[in-house]
Amino acid sequence: MSDPVLTTGTVAAPSAPPPPGAVPTARRRQVPEVAALVVVLLVLGIFFSITSPYFLNYDNFVNIVTAAAVTGIIAAPATMLLIAGQFDLSVGSAAAFCGAVLASLALHNDMAFAVPVAILAGVGIGILNGFLVTVIGINALITTLGTLAVFRGLTQVLTDGQTLGVEHFSGLGTARPLFNIPLPVYIFAGVALAFWFLSRYTVFGRSMYAIGANPAAARLNGIRSKRIIFIGFVLSGLCVAIGGLILASQLGAASPQAANGLELSVVTAVILGGASLAGGRGAISGTMLGLLIIGTLNNGLVLLNVSSFWQTVAQGSLLIFAVAFDQLRIRLTSN
Amino acid sequence: MVEANQPFRLQARAIRKSFGGVEVLHGVDLDATGGSVLALLGENGAGKSTLVRILAGDHAPDSGEIVVNGEAHGALDPIAARALGVRMIFQELSDAPALTVAENISLGRWPGRRGLIRWRKVRERAERALSELGVDIDPDAPVETLRIGERQAVEIARAISDNARCLILDEPTAALSAQEVERLFDAVRRLRERGTALIYITHRLDEVVQIANRVQVLRDGSVVRESEVEGATRADLVTAMVGRAVGEVKRPEAAQVDEAAEPILAFRSATSPGAFEDVELTVRPGEVVALYGKLGSGTAEVAESVFGLRTLSRGECRLKGQPHAPRAPHRAIATGVGFVPADRQRHGTFMVRSVAENLALPSWGRLSRHGLLRGATEARAYKRWHDELSIRSRNDPEQLMATLSGGNQQKVVLGRWLERESDVLVLVEPTRGVDVGARMEIYREIRKLARNGMGVLVATSDYEEVVQLADRAAVMARGRIMGDLDGEEITTERLSALAGG
Repeated sequence: MSDPVLTTGTVAAPSAPPPPGAVPTARRRQVPEVAALVVVLLVLGIFFSITSPYFLNYDNFVNIVTAAAVTGIIAAPATMLLIAGQFDLSVGSAAAFCGAVLASLALHNDMAFAVPVAILAGVGIGILNGFLVTVIGINALITTLGTLAVFRGLTQVLTDGQTLGVEHFSGLGTARPLFNIPLPVYIFAGVALAFWFLSRYTVFGRSMYAIGANPAAARLNGIRSKRIIFIGFVLSGLCVAIGGLILASQLGAASPQAANGLELSVVTAVILGGASLAGGRGAISGTMLGLLIIGTLNNGLVLLNVSSFWQTVAQGSLLIFAVAFDQLRIRLTSN
Repeated sequence: MVEANQPFRLQARAIRKSFGGVEVLHGVDLDATGGSVLALLGENGAGKSTLVRILAGDHAPDSGEIVVNGEAHGALDPIAARALGVRMIFQELSDAPALTVAENISLGRWPGRRGLIRWRKVRERAERALSELGVDIDPDAPVETLRIGERQAVEIARAISDNARCLILDEPTAALSAQEVERLFDAVRRLRERGTALIYITHRLDEVVQIANRVQVLRDGSVVRESEVEGATRADLVTAMVGRAVGEVKRPEAAQVDEAAEPILAFRSATSPGAFEDVELTVRPGEVVALYGKLGSGTAEVAESVFGLRTLSRGECRLKGQPHAPRAPHRAIATGVGFVPADRQRHGTFMVRSVAENLALPSWGRLSRHGLLRGATEARAYKRWHDELSIRSRNDPEQLMATLSGGNQQKVVLGRWLERESDVLVLVEPTRGVDVGARMEIYREIRKLARNGMGVLVATSDYEEVVQLADRAAVMARGRIMGDLDGEEITTERLSALAGG
């Protein structure tokens, strides 16, 4: 076994406990963090309301949420993975792969066959990632960087580099069942709620926090970390498949370049929302705020006619800002 | 450079330092001279570490001065301290594991010209430093292949090859085996002969007597005693450290154990290659059994095997009469075993999570219904043990674990296995890094667990702990049991004798 030996070579416990009051309680700290995100969101909203006449209305708000839906469906399991100290970078290419599986099967088969197989493809990618991370024991960042490349390549193989049309499948992505809000937004809300519940009220979700907070201690307290992380990757694969199908439905086609760079948006939203790179901390609600910030920023920049090249710059900067903020927080609380 | 006939002298004068509005050093003096070992004693939180970090330039004092060979400095930074010859060897090794011994010794100050390294010089420098220390280590061996004591020696060699005149050692024996401790002491004596000033931080009184010339005791940020080691009794030093007279180590009240009761845990010629051999040991419900031995003697490994962290190659372990060979901790927990690891911070606690979660975690299976878990259930569990174990906290289940003191964290970890209703509790070094005061409370709680019918096995390298805690003791050395002691037979003298001096 590759587990650290507990007794040989351990160094004595650290010298002094932190002085009382140096670290605020969980409750006290969470308030200003979420508040900071809300303030950023409000500032962005006010700024764009002033600078663009098209920003502040119901339809545009629906646009922002709709644009965030696919990212959000995938960011929910990603939040849980990061809480446990794990990453899934393969989400973008895995989503494209699922779309391509759907499109290529739909050419000669029934949708009732193509859709389940496409979803199984996503779950399969999750199983593969989970297997590599937990059984083979490769670092998740590297594993999923590898599968990112593998499945982007396989998508191109499957589609021969062409965009494949998908017919009779527009309902999933474009139907507006209620309040003129598209179906993906409802799916997004359902997924977010499910993961919110999972992370707060189930042994599974709470184990994720424990694993992230201290992997060695989690194991010594009877948590079956590998199994839990494995399930986390499978859930990620499932949500990625749903996201991939929605994208294919919205476009009416499966493009080999679909969801390119989606992992960047997902990781930005999750970290901006307060999930810590050090593990053990974060919440689905935070990620949702992070998503809204990214969505508002992108939407506002479009309305202001800023080129999409600059949007990429803005998003990268936002990620760096979020990580820097997280680092500051780690430093403040570990002292 | 200092004149050869004038010994190096490092003094601290009226050093004050506060962190976050709390003053931790209240005007402390210190005087270290070349050719002498100054032992710095004190409980955790007394200010020892802060004081030496100020000397090494890691912290700046709020007021006071540092005087090196008569020259006063308001504050030092690490580079200035190094240039003056003051070096600190931290508990956590700061070497580069993948590089060789010689490379580590020259790390950061490569001999050479115009960016090219002269490897012959690197090697010569390493050989000279190692021979000055009197240690036999291959300069070409990668550091990661060395034992802990050897790695520590390499760090000391690095300091002396960089012309260290004053060496600060922060609890250097904490992770060493008895043999390694001897070698370290030899090196320390050689350095002393050579005229190096040594400041030696420890809380082990026997070490003070063995190698120090002078002793200084800190308590709550003030110097409470400063004297020659000669003439200072053990009781004097303990009283100075703790601030009240502490009686000689006392035996606990004998446990009410049913002599005829089946052992709850039993080892029969248990063997794990490279760790221990032919271990025979029983624990009955209601008693505390100590497994005493110096670090590296195999006691911790025996403890680990009960918890599924190590497998037996021969012999067997029985739990409640059934064969017990758990493959992983979660299996051991399911069969009623609890485990308290030696390194509380790294392996025992979830610092960024709440105290309630820290306490309830292994019991989630029982506290949840269909995989659903409510915060209120955890809070109730915490409140119960908070009072029972007299955990000093705000009595807020949401309080972060990191905000508790070491002793109280340890109580939460004990409470964890009470909540889990474990039948057997295995503890490794349960009071390492815990203050003397809190230590007594933890002993009381452990005794209480046994009184409630738990079987308790304690693996420890602290013989006073054995005397104060155990109903029976088995003494180990080099992976074998050297003898068993029962009740009043357990004395510090007999424990030391069996463990081999």
